[in-house]
Amino acid sequence: MVEAIEVELQSVSKFYGEDKVVDAVSLHVNQGEIFVLIGPSGCGKTTTLKMINQLIPHTSGRILVRGKDVTELDPVELRRSIGYVIQYIGLLPHLTIRDNITFVLQLKKYNKKMQRERAMELIETVGLPVSYLDRHPRELSGGQQQRVGVARALAADPEILLMDEPFGAVDPITREQLQLELLRLQETIKKTIIFVTHDMQEAFKVGDRIGIMRGGRLVTIGTAMDIVRERDEFIRNFIGQGAIFSALDTIPAARAIIDDLPIVQEGAALDDDVLSLTGDWENIFIVDGQRRCLGYISLSEIKGQRKIDREKVTACPPPCRPGDSLKKVIEEMLWGNRAWLPVVSEEGYFLGIVSFQSCASLLVG
Amino acid sequence: MLENIGLFFSYFWEIRAQVAELTLQHLWLSLAGVLLGTLTAVPLGIFISRRPKISSFVIDLAGALYTIPSLAILGFMLPFLGLGWLPTITALTIYSWLPVLRNTCTGIVNVDPAAKEAALGMGATSNQLLFRVELPMAFPVIMAGIRTVAVLTVGITTMGALVAAGGLGSLIFTGISMMDNRMILAGTIPVSALAVALDQLLGFLENKAGVWTGVRS
Repeated sequence: MVEAIEVELQSVSKFYGEDKVVDAVSLHVNQGEIFVLIGPSGCGKTTTLKMINQLIPHTSGRILVRGKDVTELDPVELRRSIGYVIQYIGLLPHLTIRDNITFVLQLKKYNKKMQRERAMELIETVGLPVSYLDRHPRELSGGQQQRVGVARALAADPEILLMDEPFGAVDPITREQLQLELLRLQETIKKTIIFVTHDMQEAFKVGDRIGIMRGGRLVTIGTAMDIVRERDEFIRNFIGQGAIFSALDTIPAARAIIDDLPIVQEGAALDDDVLSLTGDWENIFIVDGQRRCLGYISLSEIKGQRKIDREKVTACPPPCRPGDSLKKVIEEMLWGNRAWLPVVSEEGYFLGIVSFQSCASLLVG
Repeated sequence: MLENIGLFFSYFWEIRAQVAELTLQHLWLSLAGVLLGTLTAVPLGIFISRRPKISSFVIDLAGALYTIPSLAILGFMLPFLGLGWLPTITALTIYSWLPVLRNTCTGIVNVDPAAKEAALGMGATSNQLLFRVELPMAFPVIMAGIRTVAVLTVGITTMGALVAAGGLGSLIFTGISMMDNRMILAGTIPVSALAVALDQLLGFLENKAGVWTGVRS
């Protein structure tokens, strides 16, 4: 499948005098994905973002939005076609929430009736009561204000959203809530989102792909899993300690499945092929005719017999699904004091197991 | 003491027609000064708010004009503008510049940068930014400047009497030359009352306009 590229940067640089703030950054963002730009403060991530809607003009290179060079577009029209959410929210304090949400529509001189309808629609989209439309920003909490900020960015139904540390100014609990809401919202709106943050956990949580910047350069681009497998010392340090759990939260158990296991059907005799699969693995799995896992038996119990004694089969631990996150799977293993868990499909088929070992080797790459 | 107050009021009542006429004259001179000052200083304030390099110079210049004693300004303009309302209103306009100019400029410059960035990022043109974001948000600060000027101007208008512009200053200066305290008071009290009334009126208008622009709810 070829994905349409919505935004593309080709060796884009920004100089302030001699100072290279952004240095030959090249990247592309596919339609419908959340691309996260992350890095320590002063790494040029926000500047990169603002060059896309030309709030900051770039010094060299090319920036393409929907295939068109931004320098050939009218900057005002360009910005009206791209949603923009900023860290300090920037709601206009003298306007009601309704007028804040429809600000772009006012700039574009849409008719009043359409503006009112759109405001009603959007306030519900971001999960706030319709009665808030007549309030002023100062009457709302920080989290509520940023929801309005997101609604405002969506007003003109732009294909592309730029989000500059959108949840940076709210408390951690609200931030997590807003991140989840963004993901839920993205399921339906399917926008192309470029998201700047300095919080690695946030990047892992919301990003389909992540670009790490340092000193104006783009150091690496990849999925959460690619990033945690990076060996580079700067990246390792930058990811930090707790963030790996957020990465595990985004990786499905399916990625860490061990499926070359010794499996026999109930009643069948053990043959050498099955025994040869054991390797260092000392359990043999028994499945029924529908490939449902009935349990396992250890090699030491078999003691060279070809026939499996039903009495000695142990039931499997509670299974997990291939779509479960590794974080959830590891949690289950810790709570249940298990070294591994079986993975079972929605239909109940036994797919294999996930173990601590398989998770670890996945991350080591 | 009480007797003196009684005497003053009977004197005041005697010349009430004259006081009323001079008060009206005083009022229109002051209003004209404030209006002209506002109409020139607000656009200039907007202009310099966009140009940080010259803004402090222009404000310093208005400050220098502000420090010239009113008597000196009137005397200086005498050969050019002669006597009467013209030099008076000109002087009042010059005195209005500093507070209105400075408040307009700082009011706009200090508008929350996040609000400006958001508006620009959403595709506001520079005119839309000015009229939909900057001016409404700077409005209370600009109004504070205009109210300061209004009070100040009502006081300075008194000097107009020295160049034959009339107003309540006539009573005060005549009273001084005749060493008649009743006459001085008959001029001074309406000046103060006028200043307070004008400030209150502008405050009321500011509130009305604030509700209309959404600055106040």
